[in-house]
Amino acid sequence: MKDLLKVENLCKNQILDHVSFTMDSGEMTAIMGPSGSGKSTLLYQISGMDQPSSGKVWLNGQEITGLSEDEKSNLRLHRMGFVFQQMNMMSNLNILDNILLPAIQANKGKKDNRKSKAELTENAKKLMQKLSISDLADRSITQASGGQLQRACICRSMINQPEILFADEPTGALNKSTAAEVMEEFVELNREGTTILMVTHDSKIASRCSRILYLLDGSIHGELILGKSDTITEKEREERVSQWLMEMGW
Amino acid sequence: MTGKLIRNDIKQNKLLSAMTIIFMAISSMLLVLTVLLFTNLLCSIDDLMATAKTPDFLQMHTGELDESQLHRFALAHSEVREWQICKYLNLENSSIYLGNYSLADSTQDNGLCVQGEKFDYLLSTENHVLNVSQGEVYVPVCYRTQYDLHLGDTMEIGSQKMHIAGFLRDSQMNSMMASSKRFLVNESDYQKLAESGEEEYLIEFLLKDGTDTGVFAADYAAEGLPANGPTITGPLIRMMNALSDGMMILVILLVSIVVLLISILCIRFILALRLERDKKEIGMLKALGIGKKEIRQLYFAKYILFSVCGAFIGLVLARTMQKPLLRQMQELYGASSAGWQSDIFSILAVLLTEGLILFSIRCGLKKTERYTVLEALFPKQTENKKNNHRQYLFIGFVVAACTFLMLVPQNLYSSLSSPKFVTYMGIGDGEIRIDIRQTEDIRTITERIDTELKNDSRVKKYTVLQTKSCPALSSDGNQINLTVEAGDHNAFPISYIEGKAPEGEKEIALSSLNAEELGLSVGSTLELLINDTQISYTICGIYSDITNGGKTAKVGISSPIKDDNIPAMWNIVYVSLEDSVSKEQWIEEYNQTGIKIVDIADYVKGTYGQTLQEIRLASKTATIIAAVIISLVVALFTRLIVEKNRYSISLQKALGFTSGSIKKSYMIKGLLPAIIGTVVGLITGNRIGEYLCGMILKSFGADRFHFVIDWNKTLFLIPIISLTTAGTAVWIGIMAIKKVKAFECCMGKE
Repeated sequence: MKDLLKVENLCKNQILDHVSFTMDSGEMTAIMGPSGSGKSTLLYQISGMDQPSSGKVWLNGQEITGLSEDEKSNLRLHRMGFVFQQMNMMSNLNILDNILLPAIQANKGKKDNRKSKAELTENAKKLMQKLSISDLADRSITQASGGQLQRACICRSMINQPEILFADEPTGALNKSTAAEVMEEFVELNREGTTILMVTHDSKIASRCSRILYLLDGSIHGELILGKSDTITEKEREERVSQWLMEMGW
Repeated sequence: MTGKLIRNDIKQNKLLSAMTIIFMAISSMLLVLTVLLFTNLLCSIDDLMATAKTPDFLQMHTGELDESQLHRFALAHSEVREWQICKYLNLENSSIYLGNYSLADSTQDNGLCVQGEKFDYLLSTENHVLNVSQGEVYVPVCYRTQYDLHLGDTMEIGSQKMHIAGFLRDSQMNSMMASSKRFLVNESDYQKLAESGEEEYLIEFLLKDGTDTGVFAADYAAEGLPANGPTITGPLIRMMNALSDGMMILVILLVSIVVLLISILCIRFILALRLERDKKEIGMLKALGIGKKEIRQLYFAKYILFSVCGAFIGLVLARTMQKPLLRQMQELYGASSAGWQSDIFSILAVLLTEGLILFSIRCGLKKTERYTVLEALFPKQTENKKNNHRQYLFIGFVVAACTFLMLVPQNLYSSLSSPKFVTYMGIGDGEIRIDIRQTEDIRTITERIDTELKNDSRVKKYTVLQTKSCPALSSDGNQINLTVEAGDHNAFPISYIEGKAPEGEKEIALSSLNAEELGLSVGSTLELLINDTQISYTICGIYSDITNGGKTAKVGISSPIKDDNIPAMWNIVYVSLEDSVSKEQWIEEYNQTGIKIVDIADYVKGTYGQTLQEIRLASKTATIIAAVIISLVVALFTRLIVEKNRYSISLQKALGFTSGSIKKSYMIKGLLPAIIGTVVGLITGNRIGEYLCGMILKSFGADRFHFVIDWNKTLFLIPIISLTTAGTAVWIGIMAIKKVKAFECCMGKE
């Protein structure tokens, strides 16, 4: 299978030190590591939110590190999705409009196959239904819980059908049960074919991914392949991850 | 989506949105008002001058007149369209009564005339050429309010009574700054009253378009035609007309520039605050891949909407406010025909104001482009503290700018109303001025007055200045007539733009208009023809002058002009009295000798009264606007500071601080920049304000201007207004501290 994401010798100041790895299409990879190991920094370099000191990143064969700021913005809008730890949303838009925002923006730039506002709204509502938040459409962001908002953020990240979804500690601000529910949504999206690269420090969350990269002092220290979630039970996966993390010095 | 974003944003930030619109509206209103008043004034003057057919060249003359000589001159000059001689009967002010008022105290030269035959018409208040019946008189419109006159009232000249049939507009002498006023009577009434005063002539020429009046004036002088009096040209008449109301408009212009500056800074500051608050949202949008141009557009669209609202409100307010301000102008010059011009210029003014504000906003929005996604998503904690300092600094700046705004028009008013100001206009720095003119025997009367003053122990100092018409040669060899004032010019000095007063025998000072026209500067030489002898004079000084058409010259007491055989056109005596002497009593006593004596302070009031009244109005308006801006901005920004520091206020309360003690510290923090701002405003108002007013007044002929400061207002009234307004505003702003609850800090900083 052709690599969807290829990272080669990526460096960022003193934080990242020649990081290289690849990701296949449909993969769900977690990046783990202690605080200050450079997990989030790695995600920002790969997604084009920050400019690495050296090294290269390819997305579907296209080298993205050399792109201009505007080209990177365009790339993020059309081909990438993002979910953050904090549920950052526009406070003066309701939840449906927040989800629609990137879709409308992406639609504006299209020369062909432009969708009507109704079609875009329909897509957004379908996503909301899938993530069980369809009743929140008209609510303000202050009228939703953390879990509901994170689901809305996932909807927003998926609205333009990205090639890859980046998630930075997506369950970090949620309680345990909500975190598990939100993670279930990620697993489901991955099952449907979405490639996901996620940063987390929660071993339980990481155990739902097919692969884990362990980052230490800015370089990849270890890798654990777990395979698809239906191959072994959840408990077995968690135990394997715990044991592996102990080996890594977690 | 953009519409929804804007709508919701306005709903959530009503106060900030309203403030932005108010700033935009006030800025537009003031600039539109300036433009409306200016176009209306200029168009009114143009309309009046066109309807009245104002002469392009006017020579006043007292004494014998050879009409055939003038007729030959007119025939020889193809540029002369029409010419005529108008008689003007200069009356003794004490013999005139308007209604119940005597004109004895009037500083104006009042006289009678008949309607012009071919041009220089005196017009009705509807701008129609007037026809007067026997027994009727038309009174200058500027006297209507001054003497509370009504149609049917009586005007008395000695024993002769006439009834006031209406009020007239005089395109030449409408402004109070013109020192003469013409009353229009029927030819037979004029003849009947001919013995009541001294007759003068106005030799008037209407020239073809494009004629250089300077060249024409030189030709006139070279021919040796009657010229015993000032020479006045069309552009000078227009300037005199525009001067009185123009000053008020310039004050409004100054206010509008300062307010525009404050508005731009306030809006930029509000924008900076919003961007700071929305930083995470901007970062999130950037992370989602929404381009910097689109993000900028999201914000800009809102400001365009605000701008449209502000422009509309500004236009409506300006239209409403112009009515009372135009009333005085329309009384003097008539309704203006500047319909479409004022509409177009108003729209241009609005576009300029809003364009500048929007340009500044667009520059401010560039900030969103500067920070990266990560900087926006994870702001550094140190920035918050820096912004708090900036907010306090901003309060200081607004108070300084508003203090400046209150002080400058006030200083301008106190300077213009001070007797010292006349020295910028070519009038000596004395207490009393005695004019000896329009009399058969100027020399004898002057000698008598000179002797009386010499023997009067109440007189501290006096000087006699003789004004004569003296031929001179311009650099191209043409002969011109100079109005030269000879005497001791150091006794009651005027202000010189350059150089000094003439002292030596062959030194001459020129008015700036003469120096400009003759192309001379300090150090150059000018040839004068005295008793048929050509004498070379060195230019020792240049001064501003609005008297006698602005074209005068001054020579020292030892100059040969003083004792030549040419009779003086008029003499002026400047007097200052001992401190204990009552000026009024002294003037009354000397007035009996049949000469014109005026208190310079009254002269200033009479000449600039109307202008001063308008500047005073503009100054009061500026003070109100400045106070409103201080209260709005300071209250808003203090409130924002409280909002921003909500967490720490809550924490202080949780630790046991009372609302009162927290308020006290915020009050001090808010008042300190206000105090510094007031001091800075006072200093800049006196320094930069003086420079700005000097620049404006220079265009009106008053050079090297210095403020005459009313210290009571500068040191007490204005600082009190600034500080009490700022203090009250801070107090209103910090009232929100009471509403912050102690438990809020426990709920997290976000």
